[in-house]
Amino acid sequence: MKRIVSAALLFTTLVSGSDQIPAPPQSHPILLKGGTLHTVSGDVLKNTDLLFEKGKIIRIERNIRREPDMEVISVRGKHIYPGFIAATTSLGLVEINAVRATRDYAEVGDINPNVRANVSYNPDSELIPVARSNGVLLANVTPLSGIIPGQASLMMLDGWTWEDATLKHPTGLLLNWPNMRIRSGPQIKKSAAEQRKERQKKLQVIDDLFAKARAYAKYHGVNPKPVRYPEGHDLRLESMIPYVNGEKPIFVQANEVQQIEATVHWADRRKVTIIIVGGRDAWRVTDLLKKYNIPVIYQSVLALPTRRFEDYDQAYKTPRLLYEAGVPFCISGTGSSFATANLRNLPYHAAMAASFGLPKEEALRSITLYPAEILGVSDRVGSLEPGKDATFFIADGDPLDIRTQVEQCYIQGKKIDMSDRHKMLYRKYRQKYKQSGRLKPSQH
Amino acid sequence: MRKRNYSLFLLIISIFSLKGQVAPVKDLHENPPRVWALTNGNVYIEPNKLIKAATIILRDGIIEAVGTDPDIPSDATEIDLNGNTVYAGFIESWLEIPDPDTIRAARDHWNKQVRADRVVFDSYNPDDKDVQQLRELGFTTAHLIPKDGIFRGQSSLAQLTDKPVALKTTVAQVVDFNFGGWGSNAYPNSLLGCIALIRQTFLDADWYTKATAIFSEYPEDNEPVEEDLALDALAKARRQKYPFIFNTSDELYALRAGSITREFGLELWLKGSGYEYRRLNAIKTLNPFIILPVNYPGKPDVSNPYQALQYTTEQLKHWDLAPDNAAKLVAAGIPIAFTSAELKNRSDFRKRLTKSIQRGLSPEIALAALTTVPAEKMGVGHFVGKIQAGYQANLVIVDGDYFNYQDPIRSVWIGGNEYPVKPAPIVDPSGKWELELPETTWRLSFKKSGSRWKGSLEYDSLAFALKDVTVDADRVTWILKTDTLGFAGSTRFTGHLEDSTASGKVFFASGAIESWTGKRIEFHEKTKADTLRPESPSALTVVYPDGAFGLEEPPKKPFAVLVDDATIWTCGPKGILKGWDILFVDGKVKKIARGISVPRGAALIIDGRGKHVTPGLIDAHNHSAAASINEGTQSVTAEVRIRDVLNSDDIAIYRELAGGLTVANVLHGSANTIGGQNAVIKLRWGVKPGDLIFRKAPPGIKFALGENVKQSNWGERYRTRYPQTRMGVEQVLRDAFTAARDYRKNWETYYRDVTLRKTKIPPRKDLELEALVEVLEGKRLVHCHSYRQDEILMLTRVAEDFGFTVGTFQHVLEGYKVADRIADHGAGASTFSDWWAYKFEVIDAIPYNGALMTRVGVTTSFNSDSNELARHLNTEAAKAVKYGGLSEEEALKLVTINPARQLKIDRWVGSLEVGKDADFVIWSDNPLSTYAVCEQTWIDGRLYFSIERDKELRQRDKRIRNELIQKILATGDDGSPAMLPSSDGNSHGYSCYFGDEQATGEGGAR
Repeated sequence: MKRIVSAALLFTTLVSGSDQIPAPPQSHPILLKGGTLHTVSGDVLKNTDLLFEKGKIIRIERNIRREPDMEVISVRGKHIYPGFIAATTSLGLVEINAVRATRDYAEVGDINPNVRANVSYNPDSELIPVARSNGVLLANVTPLSGIIPGQASLMMLDGWTWEDATLKHPTGLLLNWPNMRIRSGPQIKKSAAEQRKERQKKLQVIDDLFAKARAYAKYHGVNPKPVRYPEGHDLRLESMIPYVNGEKPIFVQANEVQQIEATVHWADRRKVTIIIVGGRDAWRVTDLLKKYNIPVIYQSVLALPTRRFEDYDQAYKTPRLLYEAGVPFCISGTGSSFATANLRNLPYHAAMAASFGLPKEEALRSITLYPAEILGVSDRVGSLEPGKDATFFIADGDPLDIRTQVEQCYIQGKKIDMSDRHKMLYRKYRQKYKQSGRLKPSQH
Repeated sequence: MRKRNYSLFLLIISIFSLKGQVAPVKDLHENPPRVWALTNGNVYIEPNKLIKAATIILRDGIIEAVGTDPDIPSDATEIDLNGNTVYAGFIESWLEIPDPDTIRAARDHWNKQVRADRVVFDSYNPDDKDVQQLRELGFTTAHLIPKDGIFRGQSSLAQLTDKPVALKTTVAQVVDFNFGGWGSNAYPNSLLGCIALIRQTFLDADWYTKATAIFSEYPEDNEPVEEDLALDALAKARRQKYPFIFNTSDELYALRAGSITREFGLELWLKGSGYEYRRLNAIKTLNPFIILPVNYPGKPDVSNPYQALQYTTEQLKHWDLAPDNAAKLVAAGIPIAFTSAELKNRSDFRKRLTKSIQRGLSPEIALAALTTVPAEKMGVGHFVGKIQAGYQANLVIVDGDYFNYQDPIRSVWIGGNEYPVKPAPIVDPSGKWELELPETTWRLSFKKSGSRWKGSLEYDSLAFALKDVTVDADRVTWILKTDTLGFAGSTRFTGHLEDSTASGKVFFASGAIESWTGKRIEFHEKTKADTLRPESPSALTVVYPDGAFGLEEPPKKPFAVLVDDATIWTCGPKGILKGWDILFVDGKVKKIARGISVPRGAALIIDGRGKHVTPGLIDAHNHSAAASINEGTQSVTAEVRIRDVLNSDDIAIYRELAGGLTVANVLHGSANTIGGQNAVIKLRWGVKPGDLIFRKAPPGIKFALGENVKQSNWGERYRTRYPQTRMGVEQVLRDAFTAARDYRKNWETYYRDVTLRKTKIPPRKDLELEALVEVLEGKRLVHCHSYRQDEILMLTRVAEDFGFTVGTFQHVLEGYKVADRIADHGAGASTFSDWWAYKFEVIDAIPYNGALMTRVGVTTSFNSDSNELARHLNTEAAKAVKYGGLSEEEALKLVTINPARQLKIDRWVGSLEVGKDADFVIWSDNPLSTYAVCEQTWIDGRLYFSIERDKELRQRDKRIRNELIQKILATGDDGSPAMLPSSDGNSHGYSCYFGDEQATGEGGAR
């Protein structure tokens, strides 16, 4: 039964003849009546109405009275969820990873704190509507290469331009922590001593950079500046001021246990605010993370165990271990540029964590409210609460279950075009088989 | 009574006897007598026969007599061995000799790696340092091994004399699994290709023999045969039944070597790896002779607990088990010999060997492994390896026990000439002496401490240490600081020692010089080198595969299993049955019904309430459990076979079982248009590689089209291999199949005509074309990596032109655009659920692909091509419900009966129907739910995975790891280099997109 209903709904959205059109701003209040509201921040509210206007949620109550200017949509039997937030992705910075011309996530050199993700976010990427169709409505877009790849931006997955689409910039500075392991094996040509030296050099680069940036911040923070001529500028250092001051967070990519430990102690020593990204081994040092209250953007649920002898479900159950230890965390996809096109599967990473012990409501939070908190936007998105952005979607069931269909998305109250490249191609080639009679009418 | 040592004396004369036998004499003839009587030795005439106080008579390089009382010939020079131990000279069973830089000649084999005609002794130019080092370990004879290549050439046995003498020029053919890596463009660049080349070369040698024979008889009817010395040598080796020695790097290589020697009926020798204990029984059935290195790993460095995480449990276990390997092989009845090869420092040989003896290897066996066993195997047992009349005068003389590495080797004899190693000192000053000086008598004592001498002087019951004591042959000097005796400065002594008397001068601090005499008042008892402390062998049990999650024994097969009251997804005509029972008997589905009852105790009963039972999942595209994936040097490599390189130790097998997978189609990669032959396996965790194979599955082969085979994403270096366009790909296919058709025709013509068979050179059996002929004949399924609609259509047309049907299109992401064509052609389609946009040719991939192809009538499956995705194919299937609206029943078929149909194994697996294999999975929930967890996975009626068993294994492995780390920390350092962690030994697996070197995680593209 469910299948027929959802399929019918799906195809109504396929009738559009064009590519997806960014939605206009919300022009009038909309009242969604009688749905099951998964507020995430609070209870699941059955048979409850949701009113939103000018892009914000106004009221969440039972039996909200209908006003004349309101559009009323019955969502009885449907479920409403806050939009999923991809905490790390290169969406918009890459179209086809194998094609060099479409890659914009890796600036040359190791140190690029000044580059900004949102300025090269391609709002017309075909990957965006595909991700959006499954309820992923916000994406923290991150550059990827070198030691300091650049600054990340939180994007709404709709808009005519990158400026329209930016919800917050910057959300933080990326930092790829050097490998702390001494590696060996047939492919490893460098001796342990050489590796230590190399590692030390990289760590020194980071420390030097932060020291320079701190000096730069100090000099430029003095008002009025001492007279000096000529005035020297340094875009890299300039961009690092909020980070060395600890005002804004640094996303530190660290997976292996020694990396994580080193990162945490470095942050404490240098008085900077960090968020661990990756976190494969985070379960091994939960006490440390808890002590310093360091959040983890865990990227590896649908992943193999790191080591041959680890439990087969280690990657699946790590979110539960973080949750039980009280470490603030959220779940992200791998963040690798190869996986960008698979962003729509974000809820299934959370679902796998739920299958291996993370409570279901926590699994849902791990891709909504928790990333919002970690990215510093929980006052605006991440849950269904009056005053927050009307960024949510309507589904016919539990969106962590693959069989569920996401029927309609709203981003800041804008009704999103639910079409995408895949649906369009599907529609096109169904026509082929209709023309040739290879599809039975019941299957049309 | 101390005897003057004989060795220095001998050294001088032995040199003269090392003359050539045919070279002209340069000045005067030198013919010192070479007759010796070595008396008073403890002689091991054979490993298990010791004669004490024996005499050995040597004459002109041969042992003339040995016994307690032989007549000593009057012309013999007598040497008192002083009770030293005498062993027959040792055979170094693996000494690699580098390849001379030879110019390639017309009669060489086309492949540089095939040089079976090379006789190693022909280019043996002994490295004096090596030879000296070997003699110092007691080796008198060496089995010389040619160094480079796949068919490296012929080994020889030679005396380690200065002018080498061969005892046998051809002992065996030496084969190595040698190949260039990814990026090398010479065939082979993979293990796959290497094994295929070995097999083809044996066939070619057969053909060559026939061809040359026919040509010599009927030159007028045939083109001359290209001469090939390597093929000739191989054919000869097989005729004369030479053994084939394979160089191995682990136990799986031993099994690979075994399957080659079985196929071609060869005698198998192995250069062992030290890992044989892991597959002892399987190796035993191959009946090999194993030459074992003793390169036991040094201690893993586990001092940093985090760094220690880089060691796999299997590595830690190997540290403990390696020294027991030899004893385990011997206990299994496998003949072994030892070699000092592979040691970083060859001089550690005795130390390592001693370790095995301490661990319980019998010295007798160890001695046999150095003497009689290799001598017999190498066909010289009748004159080498024992101390008996008529044997080569090869001896090892040890002051003590060879198998206690602290006891010194005094000398070795090779062919009747002595080579000193560590001669006993002329005088040993150890002990107490009385020194008579003009006005005083002092008591001195000397003892050796390590390599230094120490001494002290007793005077008025006080002891003073001597300084700078030196002993040089029979000369001795020392210094006494005389301050404490009331004289300022240092007094120097110099002297000459005999066994019991001494004399010398003393140079007082004052400048006065006096003479002294001395006599020994006490001999120092010869310090017996520390007796060996026996150690217990490792207490660890070898599991299969060894390391984490290995099983001690295969899972038991209960006679009957009843799953009671479950939801049964039959994936057959019965559909989904709620609240039914299913009974499995003797590994097969016996009955599916409501309320099946069995007599109490007759079946293992599983409470199925709330559970879902499905057939075992089947992955039609997988690269787990293979040690090599791509032979990418040529566009057509139909001869290579995944079955040759299966890796039963791949942890991916266990992890995939834990996701309900039971059958995988392990495919060659997509580096070339016609790749290698596949292996359909059942995930029987713990068995040896060959037993993974699902034998009833028909054979298949991997093809590939598009960007990968035209090297579009390989980088700028790859622009020349044909083809570089999709146009060229089609031509490669047509060319290959035309060649196969011609090949088949040639054979048909040959077989049809009796005269032809007599006078004409037969066609050459070509493994590559044989596989393609099987495709033409519909006996081998084509699994073709493909993306775009044009290339899919193209292959259907090529196949139809050549009269066969494609088995499956793999990936086939634009299959939905030509689903009608695929259906009409009759191929299956095995696709990804929802991957797209990772490269240009998949820009039009859509997740509706599976559903749409199904609707148009294509047998469709979802595959993984990833060790991670293969762990949850059930939820991949659910994507066909979401995208395209298949029913749940239809969707699950995408990973059960449909792939079974595609692989033509649906008679046995893929659905739960009476008579089919008991391959099934028990799920906690609806298997299409993302919340479902696989609780049990059964194959052939055996429980290969269960959550309960997994918990036990985790606890067991945690305990083993911890105990091992504690043992390592408690073990002293023996000076050998630390075992390095395997670091990235975790199996992230292969994906079609990349070559062998690249490991990919979830993000890996195809």
